[in-house]
Amino acid sequence: MKLIKLALATTTIAFAAPIATAQDAATDTAISAQTMVNVKVNGMVCDFCARAVTKVFGKQEAVENVHVDLDNGEIHVTLKPGAALSDETVADLVKKSGYDLVAIERETA
Amino acid sequence: MKSLQYAGVTLAIGLAIAAPAAEARPVSYPGGWTVMQMNNGDMASLHVHYSPTFTDSIGLYSERNWGEDWHFTGIQYNRLVKRWNTPNSQANLYFKAAAGQADPFSDGANVEAAGFVGVGTDWETRRWFVSYEGRAYDLGFDQDARQSARVGVAPYIGDYGDLHTWLMLQVENQPEAETPTTLTPLVRFFYDVQMLEIGYAPETEELMLNWIVRF
Repeated sequence: MKLIKLALATTTIAFAAPIATAQDAATDTAISAQTMVNVKVNGMVCDFCARAVTKVFGKQEAVENVHVDLDNGEIHVTLKPGAALSDETVADLVKKSGYDLVAIERETA
Repeated sequence: MKSLQYAGVTLAIGLAIAAPAAEARPVSYPGGWTVMQMNNGDMASLHVHYSPTFTDSIGLYSERNWGEDWHFTGIQYNRLVKRWNTPNSQANLYFKAAAGQADPFSDGANVEAAGFVGVGTDWETRRWFVSYEGRAYDLGFDQDARQSARVGVAPYIGDYGDLHTWLMLQVENQPEAETPTTLTPLVRFFYDVQMLEIGYAPETEELMLNWIVRF
């Protein structure tokens, strides 16, 4: 009887393992999907301006990293895996930073 | 982090001297602290403020004026009245007001309630900078007024995080000063959250040294 139970357990584990691996892979794919939000603004012309943007966006739970491109007047916001930041929130954060929103683009890596 | 911030403010207050010229932008980002310290041969000032929003800041202002023998200490409120943002420039209009007390330390008179109001405006691109500020003081025992304007150019365009350098020329007018109008060439450096200005006024043979830290 014990032998039968051991055989059943082994078979179950053997079949379950690939399923679990497949599920992990699917989860990993979902988790690793990161969104980059590119925000074009008007008025961002100096380092102190840029500092305001990085502070205001950086306080958001969803935000992993903020990069400022002064040459093009753009804020590149990298979101944490699986996190989201709505257009309304982005617009509000730009306004709170003291700048005017021009456009929002999103990329998913 | 908060303890560091409070330590910074305490240190700045401890370093307080007294009276300034043309301040840089008097508001910061929401939740931001700023320490501004300005010196020239006639005066020294310290302004420590907190910005609850990007349009407002409130804080301590202290100014010592050796040229006219008074010391003002009070609470200052700054308001960004209007900002104009374009793809390549930013312009601002500010209102400033302070209330406190003034001490005419050289003639033995009593400390009196005092205050000032002022307006400031600036326009900036990544290459050019122009600003103006005017203030009127009521010190109880005396009235004072001053105004200053600046024009500046950046010899190179740095990106975010680089050392930014500006070459500026400031003209300041204080009708009651021994030398009412002074011209001060200066160099402004921006790096990270710090700004430093060093200038020299040939008419009065006085150095200018200003610095700002934001955190």
